[in-house]
Amino acid sequence: MRFFKNVFSQLHSFVLWALMSAIFWGWIFTIVTDAPMEKKITVYCYVPEIRDTELAVSLEEEKPEGIRMIQVHNFEYVMFDTGFIEYGDIFILPESQIAEYEELLLPGGEGVKIYDAGAGSGGADDYIGYTDEDYYLFLGAKSVHLEDGKAEAVAKRLLDT
Amino acid sequence: MPVDTVELYTDEDMAGLKRKIKCWMIALCAVAAAALAACITVAAITNTGNAERMELYAVVISTLAGWVIIYCATYVIGNARRELGHAGTLRSDERERVEGRVTVTRRWLRIKKSITAREVEVETPEGVSRFWVAESRAGQLARANATALYTSHGYVAAYEVMK
Repeated sequence: MRFFKNVFSQLHSFVLWALMSAIFWGWIFTIVTDAPMEKKITVYCYVPEIRDTELAVSLEEEKPEGIRMIQVHNFEYVMFDTGFIEYGDIFILPESQIAEYEELLLPGGEGVKIYDAGAGSGGADDYIGYTDEDYYLFLGAKSVHLEDGKAEAVAKRLLDT
Repeated sequence: MPVDTVELYTDEDMAGLKRKIKCWMIALCAVAAAALAACITVAAITNTGNAERMELYAVVISTLAGWVIIYCATYVIGNARRELGHAGTLRSDERERVEGRVTVTRRWLRIKKSITAREVEVETPEGVSRFWVAESRAGQLARANATALYTSHGYVAAYEVMK
């Protein structure tokens, strides 16, 4: 009884500590689970549903040399900071959104159809929840992995997954 | 009739309290170090596939360790420190002798930034006087069959028993 009374009288400290702990480790893990642009490939998908972690793990099984991690994000991820998305290496967009995000895509680079709505199948469809539209894969205009071919290698893996 | 005066806080008790504080400080530092080491290990073995789970582990480990440390620092070390201060005051300050039938009651109170105390009643020919005794010493006083108390600032500092 005394124990619970003691706990209750220090409840504010316990709650504050739990919050600080969550914020601190959230920050640490943001750093731990990130890498410099040169060491990672980032894939952005404009889809309503995606098993991003599983897809990233699957792509990392055969990642290009020198790449430490592959990140897969939904477009919602960048809703609050559009600065991130500019440096995306690979974009998967539905046909209807291509015009809107044209400036992010490699100029003159034609997208590769990754999902055929008519056939109902496409690349990485075990992980990506496509809608009833054709989807296209593009390389990013500001990707730092265009010249070394690493973005293209991961794109090929996506198409074959 | 010959009587013995028993101090509630002897030199050994004071040394014991200081030792208790030191040991608990070391134990809590060990808990903090172990939790930090566990969290660093968890962060070090993190990969893309397990990142969310590992982050949860780190938060849970550091939160639980923090709670244990907060609780023990407040209620174990804090209480021992407060009792040490309380005992120091009782040993050094002036005392008043009260003679009568001594009863340790079940009433207790926690004084903010001080000790938890139990109420002591002394039945004197003039009436009932009430004092407080540190809870850690209440059992000792209750069992002692004291015939008189030495009090300071309303707290029991020592008692007399018949030889």
